[in-house]
Amino acid sequence: MPNIHDDPAALKALQDAIYRDKILRARRMTVEQRLTEVFEQSNSQFGMMHAGAMHRLGTRDEAAGWREVRRWLERLDRVREHGLYVAEKPPGK
Amino acid sequence: MTLEELALKTVAAAESAGVDFMLVGSLAGVAYGVSSASPRVNLLVAEKVAGGLGMMTKALDPFVQFEPQVPSAPLTVGRRHVGTSRSTPAYMIELFELFDDGFVQEEFRRRRQVFVPMLGRSTWLPTAEDVIVQKLRWGRNKDLDDARDVLAVQGPESLDMGYIRDWCAQHGTTEHLEAALAGIPPL
Repeated sequence: MPNIHDDPAALKALQDAIYRDKILRARRMTVEQRLTEVFEQSNSQFGMMHAGAMHRLGTRDEAAGWREVRRWLERLDRVREHGLYVAEKPPGK
Repeated sequence: MTLEELALKTVAAAESAGVDFMLVGSLAGVAYGVSSASPRVNLLVAEKVAGGLGMMTKALDPFVQFEPQVPSAPLTVGRRHVGTSRSTPAYMIELFELFDDGFVQEEFRRRRQVFVPMLGRSTWLPTAEDVIVQKLRWGRNKDLDDARDVLAVQGPESLDMGYIRDWCAQHGTTEHLEAALAGIPPL
């Protein structure tokens, strides 16, 4: 069986097909439905992150798991917001 | 506390403190684009009465710990209040103060009210066009993906592309816009 990773055109076609499905699904939803879904997804994603954090720590201590999730998110924020914010307004702004 | 409970408390605190607001950031992008999980509630806020923002953060204090320092973004020069929910999981709240910027003022003026069943109440959102312009302006990888998703879901044919192009030209982000449009495969 050919490896799709060796065929850039086939890989792009697959990626486009996956993206197309995602877009067409979103188009069938209303603004209200999409907002409802993001709240549900966010809650369940946090549950999965919590499980992953506890696994990484090798603990059954849920509080420790939540602290680790928080640490992960803080690291992510530092990466995403690097250079974006300052404590004081730049001169002349 | 769940994300929607935090959003609900934030919206209620804004309304009771006389603070006009609209959802921005990931939640606004999701409203018109593709659903993706977010650990934060972002609001653009404008005081109707002096001290309203202080009243709002005080009302949220039992649930949210706000950082004492107020950072601002050189890109947009808006003051930003950052808070983290006191309960687990630690969701974040960001309150961006409305400021003297032509686009941000216009975006806020054009905001629209949307009923969110999961919150059981209405909230305020920017238009889809304004979400695209702002995401392209911020220009981080995630923002550019979000802008492309909103363009793809809404469809350029149903959007006011003239409005979007005008602001992108003013912001110097036309290249980002063209790249986002080019990134949409045939649907």
